[in-house]
Amino acid sequence: MTSNAAHGPIAEILKNQRIVVCCGAGGVGKTTTSAALALAASRAGRRVLVLTIDPSRRLAETLGVSQNPPEPVAVSPERLAAAGIAPPGALDAWLLDAKLVADNAVRRLARGPEEAERFLSNRIYGQVSQMVAGMHEYTAMEALHRLLLEGRYDLVVLDTPPSRNALDFLEAPGRLSRLLDMKIFKAFLPKQGSLLTRAASALIHRVLASVFGGEFASEFVSFLASFAGLFTILNGDVASMRSFLSGSDAAFLLVCSPTPASLVEACFFQEKTRELSLPLRGFVLNRSRACVDGRLFPTEELLAQGAGPEARAGLAKLQQLATAELAAAERDRVLLADLRSRAGEGCFALAVPELPQGADDMRTLVAVADALLSGGVEKSP
Amino acid sequence: MDLTGLFSKRCVLVTGKGGVGRSTVTAALALAAARRGRRVLVSEVGDEGQGHSPLARHFGRERLPEVRPAPLAPGVEAVELLARVGQELFLATVLHAATLAHAAMSSEALRRMVNAGPSFREMGVYFQLLTLLRARRPEGDPLHELILVDMPATGHTLSLTGLPELLLRLVPRGPIAEALREGQGYMNDPAQAAAWTVTLPETLPVSECLELLDGLRRTAMPAGGVFVNRIPRDPFTAAEREGLAALIARHRLLGAEGFHRLEGCACELRRLQAGTALPVIGLPELEGGPSLATDLSLALEGADPVEELLAVPRPARGAAPAAGSLLA
Repeated sequence: MTSNAAHGPIAEILKNQRIVVCCGAGGVGKTTTSAALALAASRAGRRVLVLTIDPSRRLAETLGVSQNPPEPVAVSPERLAAAGIAPPGALDAWLLDAKLVADNAVRRLARGPEEAERFLSNRIYGQVSQMVAGMHEYTAMEALHRLLLEGRYDLVVLDTPPSRNALDFLEAPGRLSRLLDMKIFKAFLPKQGSLLTRAASALIHRVLASVFGGEFASEFVSFLASFAGLFTILNGDVASMRSFLSGSDAAFLLVCSPTPASLVEACFFQEKTRELSLPLRGFVLNRSRACVDGRLFPTEELLAQGAGPEARAGLAKLQQLATAELAAAERDRVLLADLRSRAGEGCFALAVPELPQGADDMRTLVAVADALLSGGVEKSP
Repeated sequence: MDLTGLFSKRCVLVTGKGGVGRSTVTAALALAAARRGRRVLVSEVGDEGQGHSPLARHFGRERLPEVRPAPLAPGVEAVELLARVGQELFLATVLHAATLAHAAMSSEALRRMVNAGPSFREMGVYFQLLTLLRARRPEGDPLHELILVDMPATGHTLSLTGLPELLLRLVPRGPIAEALREGQGYMNDPAQAAAWTVTLPETLPVSECLELLDGLRRTAMPAGGVFVNRIPRDPFTAAEREGLAALIARHRLLGAEGFHRLEGCACELRRLQAGTALPVIGLPELEGGPSLATDLSLALEGADPVEELLAVPRPARGAAPAAGSLLA
């Protein structure tokens, strides 16, 4: 870490924010970026948690933590030391799958273990708890809120679930909480409320009975209603989490890959965050090939004396690859410049180079963290 | 590659993790099928309020047409698969009245339920796809002979392919069950449907591809094969490679990254091949641009199974170079 790096935009965010939300399409390296950000913050002395839902097994292996534990797990100092670092802060990770998140929420919200067990063993719950749209996001939001309230962490880095729409994780809880509103559920329960509600309820029952058949329809409705009763408690949390996310303690980052489509995505993301008044702080252009510093063009002079004809023929082809790499570097520099001008005031754009994947992934993570920290710092020409 | 088998299906799901070029492959398949005179429909699983569609962009549009299929290119029609559209179609069928379905969908409570309730969105998408598969011309043959679906990220893909089995366990009788069984009649029949998975010759994409193939097997979705996209052209002969080794080890060179990438690529292709018995087809790395889908559709016709790319014996010292193959 250079002294310069400590003043870069990423260092600022990691020092001052309480939550960093990494968004982006699938396959852009969002999970790695999130883990690297958390690592960097722990090196700056903060107590950090990286929370990721539906992660690849690889991240769990890299960090040496189990998947789906009931609580966050500390990344062991030995493992960090093996990668040559000893962060003064603390680095925890919580790698969750959706089913476990939902089960945890049920256990916590139920009135006692018996009620929890009744839910968890319900045949509808068993089949569909993973498929309730927005369930991951809803419960993740709740877990996040709880962790921040408890004050165990100075900073939580949230890796959002893969989705074409980068902000789906924010919109899905809204959809679910609108469903889990008991006022709405009264409409599903027969013989309650005003004449108007009863008329609506009759229509709904007719629809559900035609769709599911009468018997399953009533089982389904009573399940949803009791489920709603359970989860409606969370609605307040989701609302206060939303206002927390729009506040000055939060920072949103968009992670993108070096393709022209990223520019379109960045525009879309910027509009969306503005609409939802979320603090967009930067674009991270991952796997950028822009940096060619210190690499030589493979010229004839570099070939050893007495190199054979194969080496000479090979050199000509290597030169073509080198020329292509220079062209790619230029393209990625232009893309970064475009992202920068799109970013405007109060928002940064930085590039992180593609790092060779070594056998030791923790070292790769450290290298990504360093690249993130130094990425936004302008080099003197 | 002989595309006859793939194009003889009624429905091909194009799956794969984000960023591997799934939309490009879907668009290329559509163009190639249309060139052979197939009546093609391309679609993607859309999301209400989605700003842009990568698939539509290959055809110079921002979004795919909604609700009704509309022409997108010569011989290619398109429609977005939307949960809401499918849900309304389904309700109209079971309630035998479009007006009642419309009234039901304007009930606030029901709308909220189908927006967030378990499996309702998947069911909507599934039913819209079924409706498209059912559609026939007055003469009786299918309106769209081939329906190509650009599928969402892995988790959502498996929610969709696993939907019938999951719901049938809960609701074994009634209109939903009937629709799902009819859907299974198409989707679980290897003669009529197949999932093709797109991946890249890189570590993480290959691992995730193998996991996805496992998932498809668990959900009884027939797998057609794997497209390995963006395989870089390897210009080097073995002798040239050897001749350069010392130079590359001695200096930090431009071009070395590409040189090493070619080796990693061959290694990942072997790992993929060892992990699946399905056909693995290599697609070349092409220059991006407005004609990318067309270029790839032409490359598809001449694409080779990966074993042919890998099995090319490395020529002995002094033999004629086998440059020009994708991976010598």
